Amino acid sequence: MLIDKELANDMSKTVERQEALSKKTREAIIDIAATETGCHIGGSLSVTDLLIALFEKYMDDSRNQVVLSKGHAAAALYSVLYVLGILEKNPAESYGRSDSLLTGHPNHKIKGIPYSTGSLGHGIPYAAGWALSQKLKGSAGIGVAVCGDGELQEGLCWETFQVVQSKQIDNFLCVVDCNGGQNDGFVHHISPIEDVRGRFESFGFQAIEINGHDFREIREALLAFEASSKPFAIIANTVKGKGVPDIEGNPKAHYAKIPHRLKNKWKRSMV
Amino acid sequence: MTLSGRDTYRDELTKIAEDDDRILCLEADLGGKNHQFESQFPDRFFNMGIAEMTSIDMAAGLAEAGFIPFFSTFATFASLRSAESIKLAMGYMEKNIKIIAPYGGVSGGWFGTTHHSLEDIGVVRTFPNIKIACPYGEEDTRRVIREAVSSPHPYYVRLSRNESFVSLDRDDDQATIPLVNQKGNGNLCLLSIGEQGTELCKKIQEAYPEISHVHLCYIDQVSLRNSIAQLEEHGNTFLVVEEHRLAGGTASLLAVLMPDNRVYSFDCGEEWPVYGGSHQETLAYLAFDYEALEEKVKNLLSEGAEVNW
Repeated sequence: MLIDKELANDMSKTVERQEALSKKTREAIIDIAATETGCHIGGSLSVTDLLIALFEKYMDDSRNQVVLSKGHAAAALYSVLYVLGILEKNPAESYGRSDSLLTGHPNHKIKGIPYSTGSLGHGIPYAAGWALSQKLKGSAGIGVAVCGDGELQEGLCWETFQVVQSKQIDNFLCVVDCNGGQNDGFVHHISPIEDVRGRFESFGFQAIEINGHDFREIREALLAFEASSKPFAIIANTVKGKGVPDIEGNPKAHYAKIPHRLKNKWKRSMV
Repeated sequence: MTLSGRDTYRDELTKIAEDDDRILCLEADLGGKNHQFESQFPDRFFNMGIAEMTSIDMAAGLAEAGFIPFFSTFATFASLRSAESIKLAMGYMEKNIKIIAPYGGVSGGWFGTTHHSLEDIGVVRTFPNIKIACPYGEEDTRRVIREAVSSPHPYYVRLSRNESFVSLDRDDDQATIPLVNQKGNGNLCLLSIGEQGTELCKKIQEAYPEISHVHLCYIDQVSLRNSIAQLEEHGNTFLVVEEHRLAGGTASLLAVLMPDNRVYSFDCGEEWPVYGGSHQETLAYLAFDYEALEEKVKNLLSEGAEVNW
């Protein structure tokens, strides 16, 4: 029991730390939303916790690669890289500017970003290819793609899952940030994708569904992936605009450019 | 026995892979049964199924880890279905991926319009950083495959189907250098691209031996720029003979790159090749044959392209 208590304490500390990182990341995202260009804030805030957990767990090992396939959430990616110390300066200082590599969609020329994404779907096969490369090398490395639920409307995703299944690339993980929104509105209005978990399972994946804002559940899901002998999918239910009450769950928050006063208000209101 | 382009590719890549563990061979269900590479290196051979975009994007991940993935499927599927993957993974991010694309031009013959590829070079050439090679004959195809392995650049290699040719003699061992098949002493020079273009130019030279003929194996924009000085040694009037459309074809690019010269095109026009038939019959339907080329040459000569007989 003593050991279990210690583990519980360790986990509490980890979660506490990750939640602190999450808050800092969201503040940086809001800073970016207040720049001259604005950003895809809704999907950035929904994917933040997933990115923090994945980067913390896997990015110290060069045998692993984590790719943000839903590249429009670049503000989240840059902000996570910043709070983890990989980017030195607050990305809001240069985001979108003519002398900056911090474009509206991720750029592989930036440290910590393996692949330029933004045209949806491509990060998934890239990560699958990386995962296959590690199997060929006899390495324990993994390939992780983080995509959106709207992104799953792209045929390339399913083409890749088919190949992943056929080649049994069991060190490949697809994390779906299911925030229910896409550019023009709700996913379920535009082109519904029912039973995402069942769809993955029908493609030969092991899939689990979690709360994508609960670091304990994310951690458990990653442990399940590591124990799995199949390609793995984490269906992470998230909230578009998570953490900012004014925009939580609102599909109109897909992209926003906000005035300075709103930036401060949103930071104060963060939950 | 002389091998066709695609058989040469498989043979040469399999040989190279004996000493190079980085080589991977990817197919998209069009590699055929008894694939030589698969037989010899089953662990490094991947039939990806009918999944062209996935194949190229996954190849990017494999290349990032230090492998040299060769991906082969029909030219039209490789270049058009996968155009965005080629643009991003190979052009923009310069991943070390090699595409080998048989069934170039209308070599699919009776397979029909969906399987013809008269636009592939134009599409791929718009993406910077990709080497494009269109070899003539077995020896040059082997050279190109070897050069692709040793080069850090992405490659698009356009091949034909089953016909086989003996390559032109080279003074050097690099296919990157334009090959002067025969140097005439006038101002008209034929520039041949690929197997059928080069075949036609060879035949024209039998009847018009004083016309120069240069075969260009590498036809990406950088390679063409690097060839200009050498080409200009062969006159100031050039007729590009290429199994492709004019739009995006080599002639249209060379015309801009060589503004002080006259550059003409002998190409497959704007018709859709809607009928069946052999490769040669399909080419004839598109007026890409000896008679049409000879007429074009005669017209150019009558318009003042100087040839000293």
